[in-house]
Order: sequence, then structure tokens, then C-alpha cells
Amino acid sequence: MTDATIEPAPAPRPSLPVWSGVGRVFELALGQMLWSRRTLFMLLVVLGPVLLALVARAAQAGGIVPLRINGSRVAGLDAFGLLIWVVFLRFAVPVLGIFYGTGLIADEVEDRTLTYLFTRPIRRGAVLVGKYLAYLVCTGAVVLPSVVLVYFLLVPLGEVAGSVVWFAADLALLALGLAVYGAVFALAGALFRRPLLAGLVWVFGWEPLATALPGYARQLTVAYHLQSLVPHAMPDSGVMTLLTSVFADTPSAPVSAAWLVVLLGLALVLAVRAVETREYVLDQ
Amino acid sequence: MTRRTRVVLGIAGGILVVGLGAGLVTAYFGGFQGLILIGTNGPDELAYVPADARVVAFVNVREVMDSDLRKALNAVQRRGPRDASEWERATGLDLERDIDHVVAASSGQQRQPPLVLARGRFDAVRLEGFVRERRGRVETYRGKRVLVAEDGRMGVGLLEPDLVAAGDPASIRAALDVASGGATSVRSNGDLMRQVREAHAGSAWAVARFDALASDGRMPPAVAQRLPAITWLSATARVNGGLDASIRAETRDETAARDLREIVQGFVALARMQTGAASGDLSGALDTVQISGAGKTVSVAMNVPLALIGRLAAMRPPGPRRPAELPAPPAPPAPPAPPSAP
Repeated sequence: MTDATIEPAPAPRPSLPVWSGVGRVFELALGQMLWSRRTLFMLLVVLGPVLLALVARAAQAGGIVPLRINGSRVAGLDAFGLLIWVVFLRFAVPVLGIFYGTGLIADEVEDRTLTYLFTRPIRRGAVLVGKYLAYLVCTGAVVLPSVVLVYFLLVPLGEVAGSVVWFAADLALLALGLAVYGAVFALAGALFRRPLLAGLVWVFGWEPLATALPGYARQLTVAYHLQSLVPHAMPDSGVMTLLTSVFADTPSAPVSAAWLVVLLGLALVLAVRAVETREYVLDQ
Repeated sequence: MTRRTRVVLGIAGGILVVGLGAGLVTAYFGGFQGLILIGTNGPDELAYVPADARVVAFVNVREVMDSDLRKALNAVQRRGPRDASEWERATGLDLERDIDHVVAASSGQQRQPPLVLARGRFDAVRLEGFVRERRGRVETYRGKRVLVAEDGRMGVGLLEPDLVAAGDPASIRAALDVASGGATSVRSNGDLMRQVREAHAGSAWAVARFDALASDGRMPPAVAQRLPAITWLSATARVNGGLDASIRAETRDETAARDLREIVQGFVALARMQTGAASGDLSGALDTVQISGAGKTVSVAMNVPLALIGRLAAMRPPGPRRPAELPAPPAPPAPPAPPSAP
């Protein structure tokens, strides 16, 4: 739990070079994150599609059509695209961003261990950046290999040659999504008292609504720009699909990528600034 | 960093590197050696199709005729055994029974009939007799018999004992040129063959360059101009206990594909809203529509179960029946008897 006051943070003491501090925090935080309960949760989320793909492959080997939606046969590459959309992009990436991103600082406050980090001869911003990099490596090390496994289980060998570029684009896109959502929620964790709840409302309330409605509100969501970079067709979801089609104003890939990079940089800079300047009061 | 953390990161990195590496190696060999090693090379009849073909279609007539779908449609339409037509009696050829599969190809030029290559069982002597009886002529071209109709606009080439070609006589001669090595076949057309390999899986399929369809005047120019930049169109259908159909479009770039997907998704969603309350059967058919695709492709797949096809066919208003099915007209009233002589 954080409680900000208007008093500025104490003047920085002589410290290690910034990147050296980032490295130290990264090393410490990576071990903690990788062997935490959050990672178990993340494993459960990403192992679902792997198991599904394994079952589909076994069914296909037995001559059974592995996936039908409303009776229509779904090809391997389309099933992979569907999982990228539904499981990874719309669920896993934002949820992992929320759980890890908001916890980068808020967890230390809640566990009352922030003092130990902030009293080290390391700049406060380096603590956040080091933990953020550890988050990226930790989530990337679990999510991206699972996508690789799903791809090779679902897509027939004959279609690999024609789809490997999209596969590489999917991996890059998921990595970018983890980076942007992580940065945005790191900022939320540095600013708000209850970042987890606010993050869930943002991801599952505001973003789907804003992306389906006309106007400029969608520009301020991560999902809108991320979705416009997906090489696979958006799965049909009834009325939302119709609204999205009617108000379609999809930006080009370079514009979306630029927006995401700007969002990432801005969120990270603001988060570092917030951590550097805020006074965190720990509950007794 | 502890040892187990290093091990986990090493395994994760290894999976990523091996996966991406394997994909890139496959793409490298697939891209430069051609996908012939992996995919099929289409039906054998493509050896007769010239390289400038822009539309190619295939129908496995045997599979369609023997399918449950066909039987269901016949049952709905209450079709009994057909009477042989005059043409069938003259040539001895029953299109439903004697044809195994058909390949059709067109260069997309206006007013030129497609070249149709039919594999099956033919009585060449009766075919030749049929043409001669109607003042047609028989010529030999590259050692094969070509039967040309009296007006010279249509012909039949006897390419192999179980393969005939029908169409414009010039197209048949061109097919014989291709088969004898005098011209290049469509198999040298890499773009079209890529589409054929992807489509050659169903009971029937067709691939076409979109400009060939748009330029022959059948598509309204207003529609053709407003559609996103489509380069290739293909359709595949499987008739196995129902109908599995898919249409796939390849666009010039990914933006056009995204636009097209949104257009199609919008249309399907609108159609679902329109039919939702009106008709349960039609709504059920629309529920099976799946829109997918990646990169520059847009795919629309649909599965219609046999029972639904039967119900939809039964909903069709009855059309004009064939003379054989019509009841005999009522006998004209007998003329009044002449008054008897007093």
C-alpha cells in the first residue's frame, strides 16, 4: 500500500553508476520473480494453449479434425492465430503486465521492504528500471517459448515456410506488448494506492470499450495499437466485431509501432520520475 | 543469479532460438527450392494448361456424385432415374457416371470459352461419329484427333484414351502444344501454382487472378473499384457428409487484407443480425461462417451440415418441372357429336 506525501524525496546520496545499479537490481529481482507464485500463475496461463495444441496435434494424427468452430473446420495456422488473439494478446499479455508491472514498487511497499532497496547506494530510478528489465526477461522467458511450442504443434510443416514471417511478427508483437503494458502498469504502481484494481478495470473495461467506439479515445489505449499490428484476422465476437468494422480506422503498422514505443518510453520515464520524487510511507 | 535461474533462462532461450531458426531454415529452403517438395503439384491435367492461364478450377465429379450431399439433394427434389438425352444416346456419354474429374482453365480473355479437360471413360468412335453426323470435321494435330463443330467455334480433343479436352479449337491446339513441349505449361507459373497447391485439397476448387474476374465484365465496375486490392482469389469445397467451403483472398498488402477482413466481418455480422430472428436455418448456416487469415490473406470458411442443406433446399420455391415430371395435360373435350339425321 502506498501513501504519497507532498514532501520531496531526500537528496540522493553518492551512489553506484546508474547502469551498474540497474544490473544489481535486475539480477536480484530476476531470481525473485522467476521463483515466485506469480510465475506459477503465468505458467498455468501459458501452458493451457500448449496443452490444447498438444491435444490438437494428437487428434490430427488420429485422423480427427482437431478444431471446429460452429461446425467449421479451423486450419492449423488459423487456430494458431486464434490463440494469439484470444489467449495471448487479449488475456495473457495485459494480465501479466498488470500483475508484474503494478507489483514492481507496490509489492515492496506492501512487504515493507522498499526501505532496504532505497537505502542502498543506488538511484531510486535504477531500482525501478532494474526490476522492469527483470520483469521483461521473466515474462518473455515463459510466454515466448510457449508460443514457439504452440506454433510448431499447430501449424503443419508444409505451412511453416509461408507463415514463419508472421510467427516472428507474433513473437515481436508479444514482446512489445509485454514491454508496453509492463511500463504502463509500472507507472500505475508507482502512482496509485490500488494499482491492481485500476489496471484490471483499464484492461477489461476501458480498453475494449474505447477500441470499439469512434473518436480519439482509442488512441490512448495500448490494445488499439497492438491489435493493428497483429498479422492474423481478428476473431469474430458478434456485436463488438460489427462495431469495430463499422468504426474501423486502423492505423498503419509504422504508426502503431511508433505510438507503442512512445507510450513505452513515456510511461517508463514518468514511472522513474515518480519513484525518484515521491515519498513512500510504509504502514506500520 | 542462481544456477537454476540460469538453467531456466537457457532452456527458454534455446526453445526460442531453435524455433525461430527452424522456421527460418524451412522458409529458406521452401522459398528457394519451391514448395513442390512439400505440397502437391496439382492434378496431372495441368500438364495441358498453358502458362498464361489466370483461372484454374477442378471438380472431382465422382466424389460429388457419390456424396451424401448429392443424394440428399436428389431426395429433396424427388428426382427419379433420369431419361438419357439425345446427346447421351448419340455419344454414349453419361456426364454423371462416366466423368471422374474435370479441370477447367481460362486465360481470362473476354468471349473465349474455358478449356475443359475431363478425365473418365469415353467412346471415341461414337464421339467422332456424333460430330461427323452434324457436319463437323475431324483433324489431326500433333498426332491427336481434334473434333471441330460445323461453325468452328467449339471442339473436342481426344488427348488420351481417358482424357478429352473441350473448348475453343485454338485452345485445344494450344493444350496439345503445351503437352508436347512446344509451349510452357501452367506449372511454370509460380504464383498460380502456389495458389493451386494451397487449394488442391477439396472435392472442388478454383483459383483465379482477381483482375481476370474483374476485367471480364461480370463484376460491376463500381464493386470492383471499391474492393480492397485483391490479387488472388481461391475457393475450396469438400462434400463429405455436408459442405465444407472456404474462400480465400490474397491482397496486395497487409493493410488491404485488414480492410477486406473488416468489410467481410461487418457484412457477416449484419447478415447475422438480419437473419437472427427471421429464419433459424439460415441463421444456423451463418453461425458456421469463420473469418480468418494472416498477413495478406483473408479466409472465409463455412460448414453446412447435411441436414441443414436438406432443409434449405426444401425451403426453395418449386421451379418449373421437366416435361417428364409434368402430369399429362387433360384430354381436350370431345367435339360435340354431329346432330343425328332425323
